[in-house]
Amino acid sequence: MNWPDLSMGGYGFYIWGSYLFALLAFVWELVTLSYRKKSQLQEKSSREILRGSTNETTS
Amino acid sequence: MGHRGSAQDIGRINWQPFDFGPREATKTRRRSTKNKEQSTTFLRPKTKVQSPFIPMNLYKYSSPVNFYPLAGRLIPWFAIPAAILFTVGMFVGFFIAPADFQQGEAYRIIFIHVPAAWLGMFLYVLMAIYAGIGWAFNARLSSMMASSISITGAMFTFLSLVTGAFWGKPTWGTWWVWDARMTSTLILMFLYIGFISLQSSIEDPRRADRAGAVLAIVGVINIPIIYFSVQWWNTLHQGATIRLLQKPTIHGSMLYALLIMLAACWLYSVAVVLIRVRCIILEREQNAARFAEATI
Repeated sequence: MNWPDLSMGGYGFYIWGSYLFALLAFVWELVTLSYRKKSQLQEKSSREILRGSTNETTS
Repeated sequence: MGHRGSAQDIGRINWQPFDFGPREATKTRRRSTKNKEQSTTFLRPKTKVQSPFIPMNLYKYSSPVNFYPLAGRLIPWFAIPAAILFTVGMFVGFFIAPADFQQGEAYRIIFIHVPAAWLGMFLYVLMAIYAGIGWAFNARLSSMMASSISITGAMFTFLSLVTGAFWGKPTWGTWWVWDARMTSTLILMFLYIGFISLQSSIEDPRRADRAGAVLAIVGVINIPIIYFSVQWWNTLHQGATIRLLQKPTIHGSMLYALLIMLAACWLYSVAVVLIRVRCIILEREQNAARFAEATI
């Protein structure tokens, strides 16, 4: 088993940079998906609430 | 005795607007009264037909409503193995695979760059096939799948361009050159962006699907150009390391790490596409319901 050092023979910035960017891309995709799903569910529940309201302008 | 369809039955399916009639569940019938548009847009066979070649009736899953729960059940079967394979692939790539004799440690970018580039191309072809099926057969789920694939495909293409730039700087001495492989991959990125922009700019989903399908199908011509660019032109980009019919030119452990990472990226893509297609199904159904409510 090889134990590579963090400097990666002087190429650490490029190697870790590319993997960090890949991680950010995956996280971005998953976060935007969960946000999209959450906003859908919020919209659905708010629509249900609005449907039940009487649309009165005064109490 | 259950109905067993024959090969001739497939040709005799009488496709017509699904009427949510008395044979359907109460829940579905209640939906149909709220959603008038849905009752005219959903197409299902009038007779129950089972293919003699497929043990279960898979045709019903072409309906977005039926596919939605199936996709939900499938997601963990792709997401969990993807997470495991990412971990194993990174371990093999960083701890077992040796340093390259020419590029040293810099070559380790290959384990994310190559799977990203392959998936960027493969997902585009898949997107075009789904968009084409959706256009030709008016299959709503196929068009939704194409929309869902486009974002993941664009993400992988962008990732391949960025990781390629990170690899190019230490090996070529530059972040970017107008090389045939890199330029054609950039065009692929623009095709993805064009597809996504076109679909989001047209309000009617059916028109958006048709317009997107035309662009996706025309853009497929770019895929062989990307793949063969290193053979057709004298480019700075290196040639293919792995070919189907020839022995790979890299060390076994490097190859294993690469294939494991490819499988991980592929499983991740399936899981994410299934999650997104569920969102698209809900969005379109909600929009259809809103439209129906507005017109009643």
